[in-house]
Parts: sequence; structure tokens; C-alpha cells
Amino acid sequence: MNKQAMWAIAKKDMAAIRTNVQVWLPMIIVPLLLGVFLPSLFTGLLAFAGIGGSDLQELITWKDRLPLGALGPVLDAMPTLNHQIAFLFTNYMLAPFFVLIPLMTASVISADSFAGEKERGTLETLLFTPVDLRSLFAGKLLASFIPSVGMTLGTFALCTISVNAFGWRLFGRIFFPQWNWLPMMLLVIPTIAIAAILVNVFISAKVATFQAAYQLGALMVLPFILLFVGQISGALMLGTVSLLIIAAVLAVVDIVLLQLLMKKLNRSSLFESQVR
Amino acid sequence: MIELNGISKRFGQHPVLRSFSMMVGRGEIVGLLGPNGSGKTTSIRLINGVIQPDEGSITVAGYDPIHDGEAIRRLSGILTESAGFYTGMTGLENLRFYAELYGVTDRSRPLELLAEFGLTDAKDKKVGTYSTGMKKRLGLAKALLHRPEILFLDEPTNGLDPEGIRMVLDYILKLNKRDRTTMILCSHLLQQLEAVCHRYVFIQDGQVIEQGTHAELEAKYAREAVLRVRTADGETEYILPGRQAVPGFLRELTQQTDVYGASLVNHDLESLYFKIREVARHE
Repeated sequence: MNKQAMWAIAKKDMAAIRTNVQVWLPMIIVPLLLGVFLPSLFTGLLAFAGIGGSDLQELITWKDRLPLGALGPVLDAMPTLNHQIAFLFTNYMLAPFFVLIPLMTASVISADSFAGEKERGTLETLLFTPVDLRSLFAGKLLASFIPSVGMTLGTFALCTISVNAFGWRLFGRIFFPQWNWLPMMLLVIPTIAIAAILVNVFISAKVATFQAAYQLGALMVLPFILLFVGQISGALMLGTVSLLIIAAVLAVVDIVLLQLLMKKLNRSSLFESQVR
Repeated sequence: MIELNGISKRFGQHPVLRSFSMMVGRGEIVGLLGPNGSGKTTSIRLINGVIQPDEGSITVAGYDPIHDGEAIRRLSGILTESAGFYTGMTGLENLRFYAELYGVTDRSRPLELLAEFGLTDAKDKKVGTYSTGMKKRLGLAKALLHRPEILFLDEPTNGLDPEGIRMVLDYILKLNKRDRTTMILCSHLLQQLEAVCHRYVFIQDGQVIEQGTHAELEAKYAREAVLRVRTADGETEYILPGRQAVPGFLRELTQQTDVYGASLVNHDLESLYFKIREVARHE
């Protein structure tokens, strides 16, 4: 592995994102909206306005349907339904948003990884350099991984500050995040981001344009994302062990995808994929 | 240094190279000549291991491009027709990026080359704002970053002004003389190739139809010498049995009339190119 070349490619791609406001602005707005604004608004409403009596029955039924497990007694010990809902929403229901953020960001960047080079007419020059394909792919992978996971962690940090600030009136202490967010943010998010990046990089290497790569990538990754996103809150409720199992399974998926990618792609096929 | 033996390559159903064989010795400057789509660029891609042949074998400095492509690309510098720069990056940033990919440790090398090709003032401007000629000069600088032993130059003077053309051709000769850099040049500007190449390979429809030095080609395809002479009466063409007959003929002519100029019109590369293609068509 040529580490110097790998980092040069990753830095070049990340600089291209940084210098293009049309690329990074939507990438920041959506995470801020989903990961900071919405949870802060919801917590703020619960803390300052409370929930009306007419909604209570429906919310109680909804809460009863959740696989609360050990969480049940924790919620029961809370003084009001507003406390319970604020705690449940921020600590558990927010999880899908934080899975979506790296996936959306990574998909855009990785769809551009090779297709963008083809569209700009720079892929051939890259292929003429003495950089091995492994390093080239690793550079492209890093260029998608670092911004997407970095942005997710940054959004999570802002969310933590904001939600606790808005919820301080209710709890009078830091109530978000619970410990199960640690394996979620440090293991599950990176491994699922890598899986999405690998699929998108592979598609990007095979097709000729960014548009084709992005659409095909969304088509192939979206069903799995939706399935996963739907289950992640439940996994958080089930606790740390379930998250560690998910991360381990995703790591295996990543390794298999990486092996497949390296096996299926070579310089020649990458070059010939430029032909539209 | 470079040897291609019986190379065939197809893209889908379309054959691009057929039984293609050629040799380039160390320190030689070889011109690849042929019409668009004849297979010149494909042969350069094959030599560098960017694509793989369907049949035949290639060796470059003892390496096989299929297995040792990286070693070959480390020895080679290339200027492709579309130089392949990132238009949102400056000239210096582009060179620094490629310097890292080629493992160039000398941090001053990009600046040195920018100065050599007259681009110091434009080093901090985005490549998107460069003229065609500036991009071409930057492309040459990129190709030379790692001091390659072999240079592949695809249309190196396209888009350059006369001064730029002179600079590039002089640089090619200087580099070849100083470092014995082996070079393969593809160009349609035959007059420019004539000024720098030691030998020529003529390609048509993916096949090598002829190769040799200028003298060898001349002996084979231009046995007669067509001499164009300019006198007070205007221009006249004389057909002589060979170029060796030219001095005697001119001596005689100058005794009869005032001669202002004389040139052989069928011995330049362009005439040889068309003659060779014509012969190949008939064969």
C-alpha cells in the first residue's frame, strides 16, 4: 500500500468538497436539520410547553408497544410523561437520523469518486501514475469516510449540547446520550458508512457519469438502509450487546465487500468504463 | 528498451491493434505516425499497463506491463492529449498532487519545472483559467516531475504558439542529449517530428505498415529526387535519379541562370508519409 499516494488522493478529494459551496452546504444543512434542529425543537417543546391532555392516551399506547426491557423501570421512575418522552425520543428515536446522516453524505461523495474523475477527464492521468489500485481505492474510501463520519460525529456533539441545554429545565442534568450511543457512534455508524461507501465506489468505478452512479447507488443501497434504519431504535433499546453484534456483522459485510471490489476491478476495466 | 511483439487489442467487437510489433532502443526518439484512430494512443496505454492486450507480449526495460505495470509507470512520464488536470486546483497544486503520486521527495521540483516552462507567474492561478498552450506546458512539467527514463508525448505541441513549439522541441532534444531519455512522440505535425525524431513507426488500421530512420525510408520510398528550383523565371520542378544527383545538377544550372533557391520536395517526412500510406493501400 502506497500511503503517501493514498493520503494525497484523499486530501485532494476532500479539498474539492471544501472549496465547492454547492457541494458542502447541502451536506451540512440536512444533518443540522435532522440531528440538531428537530431534536432541540422537540425537547424544547416538551420542556417549555408540555404535552396537551388529548395526546396523552395515544402516546402511552405508543410507548407500551416499544421493546423497552430494562428501560421500563428507568422511565417509570421519571416524574412526568414529558420527561419520559423527551428521554425516549432523544436517547432512542433519534438513532435513525444519525444512521441516515453518514449514509447520505457518503453516498454523494463516493458516487463522485471515480465517475467524477471520468467526467473531468482526469481518470486516465491517474491510471498512468505508478499508484496501485489498492491505494487508489483506499484514498477514495477515506475521502468519503472522513467527511461523512466526521460530520455525523460533529452533528452528534452539537445535538448533545443543544438537547441538554433545551432539556435542562426538565431534567436539571445531562440526560443525553446514554452509554449505548458509544458503540452506536464509534462502531455501528463507521461500519455502515463503509458498507455504503464500498457499494457506491464500486458502482462509481463501473459507470461513466456521476448521475448514473448516484441513482444506481441509491437504488441498490436504499432498501437496505430503510430496513436498517427501521430497526436501529429497537437495537439501541436492546442494549450494548445487540449493537456490538450489529457492528460485528457490518464489519464482516465490509470485509466481504472490499474483497469483492478488489477482485472485480482492475486498471483495464476501470479504464474501459470511461467509454459512455 | 521497449518491445511489442504481435500485439492485438479489441474494444468490444472493434479491433484497435492487429499483430502490432515495434521496438524502441534506449535513448531513441521515435515518432508514431498515423491517422486518427490508427492505434497510436492505444499502444501507449498498453505499454504502460493501463489496458491489457488480447494477444502478444510487451517488455519495457525488462518488465512486463501486465505484471509489473507500476514499475513501468514509475519509469515513464506521459503527456496525454487532454492533459488531465484538476481545473479547480492551481497549477502548483496540480503538480504537487502528482509529485506525491509519483513519490517525488524533492519539494522544489514542481516550482523548478514551472519556472522551466515559463509558468511561475501563473502557478497560483486555477488551471481552469489556463490557455491551451499553458495547459500543454503544465502537462509537460507533470510528465517530467519524477525525471522519467521514458517519455510518452501525445501531441506535445498542439495549441502552442511558435515560441512555445520551439521551446518544447528544444527541451525534447536537450533532455534526450543530457539524460538519454527514451521518447515516443505522437503528432500530426510531421515537420515538427522531423526536427527531433531518430526513427519513425507508421501505423494504419492498427498495424505497423513501415518503420525506419529518415535515411532508410528515403532510400526505400524516394529513389527519385524531385527538386524545386526558384529562378528569375519562377519555380520549376526537376525529377532527378536520386539525391546524389542534386549537387551536380545545381552546379550546371547555376552556370546557365541565377538560382535563388532549391529544395527537395519528395524527401521530407510528409511526402514519405503519404507515399508509405499509398503503397500500403495498394498492398
